Amino acid sequence: MDTVDPNLKKENKKLVDFCSAKSDLISISAHQIRTSISAVKWVIKMFLDGDLGRLTIEQETLLRKAYESNEKAIDVVSELLLLNKTENIIEKEFVIETLDIVELVDNAIFNFSGEAYARGIEIIFLKPLERLPKIDADKEKLLVVLQNLIENAIKYSNMHGKVFITLKKLNDFIQFAIKDTGIVISEEGKTKIFEKFYRDPDAKKKEAVGSGIGLYTIKKIVEKLSGKIWFESSIEDGTTFYFTIPMSK
Amino acid sequence: MSKSILIIEDDDFLLGLEATKLQKKGYEVIPAATGGDALKKIESNIKIDLILLDLMLPDVDGFMVLEKIRQNKDLLTIPIIVFSNLSEDKDVQRVNKLGVSEFMIKSNFTLDELADKVKNLIGE
Repeated sequence: MDTVDPNLKKENKKLVDFCSAKSDLISISAHQIRTSISAVKWVIKMFLDGDLGRLTIEQETLLRKAYESNEKAIDVVSELLLLNKTENIIEKEFVIETLDIVELVDNAIFNFSGEAYARGIEIIFLKPLERLPKIDADKEKLLVVLQNLIENAIKYSNMHGKVFITLKKLNDFIQFAIKDTGIVISEEGKTKIFEKFYRDPDAKKKEAVGSGIGLYTIKKIVEKLSGKIWFESSIEDGTTFYFTIPMSK
Repeated sequence: MSKSILIIEDDDFLLGLEATKLQKKGYEVIPAATGGDALKKIESNIKIDLILLDLMLPDVDGFMVLEKIRQNKDLLTIPIIVFSNLSEDKDVQRVNKLGVSEFMIKSNFTLDELADKVKNLIGE
């Protein structure tokens, strides 16, 4: 490190600061946008529910379209926030600490209770009966892994679907499994799903908004933590993503 | 006697919409536009059955309000719904640690869904 050009170090620091400022700006802007689109959503819903008087068929049709359009904007903001978090995370230094995995999964699920409820999807965390060993990992990054997989499971599930999360010991590793009852990964997707910017054609049909960054990034995180990530997908059983993280020594 | 909800929300327009919906469902609404105002109302011992809490607030923010509420043993049983558009991990974890009944992102819910959550927690 002593041989690194001081100018290069200075420029790198500037870049890191710039990225951090950009990330904060996205986060604050997203909050403000969400506030405005919440107001639009609630007001249109009041009209549609007849709270403000009877609507003509034409008015109702237009307002329904406006509501759907606003819902898309809400999805875009959520995707932007997840992308903002995911994109920057891999560049940050890994801070390893000993973690309780049940608490970690509880935290990740808490973040999605609203989204799952809004889509009528139940997240079921089947907590292990035996106390599982702790793991050594970077908490922030592991949360990003879990959140991306839970977010995908919710997004690609059908209304009133279920998402199951399970944990188990597998040799010297803890295996996480996130299973949904949603769409199946296509044959093309089975070989390309972890590629940067790749989006499965069926996923695009179900959810137009998406960056194709999530699975690429979380694979990098899992591998950096000495684990593995893979999936199984079939019409009968839905899609399950698995990943492993080594247990604490 | 109708149940009372303290709505802590700095955006006048959103506050008006939330209050109207909850009043229509039969609840009494106590509005507070800042964290400081909310704490004064909480400390004045008025009857509060549920608190609807935004996080980004002028003067005292929602996290601080939550911390103050959690330090008061008399208020431990009051359900709190955090109703915010903040959803960064650090914010969610901070709220989760302090303990709330629900964490709802405003843009993901309709006001009827909010009213359903309130009903589940304190009845009609």
